[in-house]
Amino acid sequence: MILRKRLNSLLLSWKTAGGVRQTIVEIISRGSRNAMVVIGATIIVTMVALAILAPVLPMADPTPAELKVADRLLPPSSDHWFGTDNIGQDVFSRVIWGTRVSLMVASLAIFFSLLLGVVLGLTAGYFGGAVDYIIAGTIDLFWTFPAFLLALAFAAALGPSLANVILAISISYWAGFGRLMRGQALSIRERQFVEASRALGARNGRIMFTHILPNCTAPLIVWASIGVADAITIESSLSFLGAGTPPSTPSWGNMLNLGMPFIGEAWWIAIFPGIVLLITVLGFNLLGDGLRDVLDPRMKGMRR
Amino acid sequence: MILLATFIVYLMLYLTPGDPALALVPPRATVEDIQDVREKYGFDEPFIVQYGLFLWRLLHGDLGTSVTTATLNTDVGTIILQRLPRTLELMAIGLTISYSIGIPLGVISALRQNSVTDRGVMVFTLVAYAMPSFWLGIMLMLLFAVKLDWLPLGGTVGGFASIILPTITLGLGNAALTTRMMRSSMLEVQRMDYITQLRSRGLPEREVIFKHGLKNAILPVITVIGLDIGWFVGGAVVVETVFSWPGIGKLVIDSITKHDFPVVQGCILVLAIFVILGNLIADILYAVADPRVRLG
Repeated sequence: MILRKRLNSLLLSWKTAGGVRQTIVEIISRGSRNAMVVIGATIIVTMVALAILAPVLPMADPTPAELKVADRLLPPSSDHWFGTDNIGQDVFSRVIWGTRVSLMVASLAIFFSLLLGVVLGLTAGYFGGAVDYIIAGTIDLFWTFPAFLLALAFAAALGPSLANVILAISISYWAGFGRLMRGQALSIRERQFVEASRALGARNGRIMFTHILPNCTAPLIVWASIGVADAITIESSLSFLGAGTPPSTPSWGNMLNLGMPFIGEAWWIAIFPGIVLLITVLGFNLLGDGLRDVLDPRMKGMRR
Repeated sequence: MILLATFIVYLMLYLTPGDPALALVPPRATVEDIQDVREKYGFDEPFIVQYGLFLWRLLHGDLGTSVTTATLNTDVGTIILQRLPRTLELMAIGLTISYSIGIPLGVISALRQNSVTDRGVMVFTLVAYAMPSFWLGIMLMLLFAVKLDWLPLGGTVGGFASIILPTITLGLGNAALTTRMMRSSMLEVQRMDYITQLRSRGLPEREVIFKHGLKNAILPVITVIGLDIGWFVGGAVVVETVFSWPGIGKLVIDSITKHDFPVVQGCILVLAIFVILGNLIADILYAVADPRVRLG
């Protein structure tokens, strides 16, 4: 009985030290003092707000049913801030609506790859042995290939649609999360509080998800932030190549694809979607890099 | 590794919705043609037998034949070999550019850590890394080809002038990564005891940095050259499309739009082999640079 009490208190102290809530509080309090994190977060919040508010913002219809020849390729003016494209659609409103598509695709893709990577990596690292051998081999295989190339191959095979782009990016990107999670699980499972929990009779699933996973919150958040930036780049590159978001949906990549033949006469079609894309990617990268510096100074400067 | 790559490539064709035989025949094929293809490729056999047949043909150097009208029945291997040198030259020059920008910038910013120069370089790397290569390509094209009219818009007709913009586009993103790595590696080396010792012995600063510091700091940067090749393979696909550069990357995108699956399959296999070779080079260089790592 006394032993059980001591084990419980040991467990409790570890849980409060590394719990998810604690980590998030720490991220906010330390992050708010880092310029990179603040700038990144401001950009992201602005973009997310624009994406959510797109339907209620007072601007032109991004895909008007009726197109006028007179509206084609108009330069930026007070009516059309970013000008109009080759079929007379307002570039500004298409850029804002494109934010919605890009952010949705990127965050869903990263959510799914996070899920896949965490479950597989955790299983491999925690159980070890033959399970680890198979999963770690798969992770390494996917890790070897550049995510963009894999996503291109999958997207080409599946055909252009929003769901397929999300699927293609998820399958191509999960290995990073898997590697991270496996490494963490391998080291954390040897720690005393895991042993304590096991002595109390906790099952594998409980140890994996309530003890090991919360201890990995910080690196996972860092990776996910950089992951969203990568996913936005991949999505727009795929759409630019015509293998991603179908042309009927406005996305930054396919706006540039459709605008390519006209850049000689209408520079605004190409410049504005790209600038917004660049700022958004920069925002997520800044947040990720900044958080990494704040949370783990040892990882400073590392990338890839 | 290569075997697994072929498996994935084959799996992709298998996963493609619709009848694969239909994807492999020219648009106006008769029912008999389709049946012929089905039998030749064994599409009525179970998956594993199909894959075996695919591997068997591959071992004999048979990647199949193109099914689009322009290049009907041409051997996929021949088409790819025609395009390969173009991609190789793009990647080689792109790599050279990225290292000749990245290494000096990284060293300069490490030597003047936290100075205005250093900050400027760091901002440059952040922006250059975040910039998608297709957009950078379009912007360079807009500035140098459309507005200033100094360089050709795309293609290869301009000779040497046509390769400038594509290679800069390809090299710049990786230059940012190289700069960051070079900077952190140089900073780390500068903190080492042997550097302090050399300084205290009164060696000229230039000799300390270039003869002793750089030599050690550059190793980790050079060893990732193999991984950079993988990065460049992805970049080449995008850049070739932007500048209509007739390499493998443009070929794969064109073939995707034309539903020329044998060519897509062949190209992706070649690109995958590039990546695998890149990783192999990285492993070898790593062992050469650091004798503690043993091959095998």
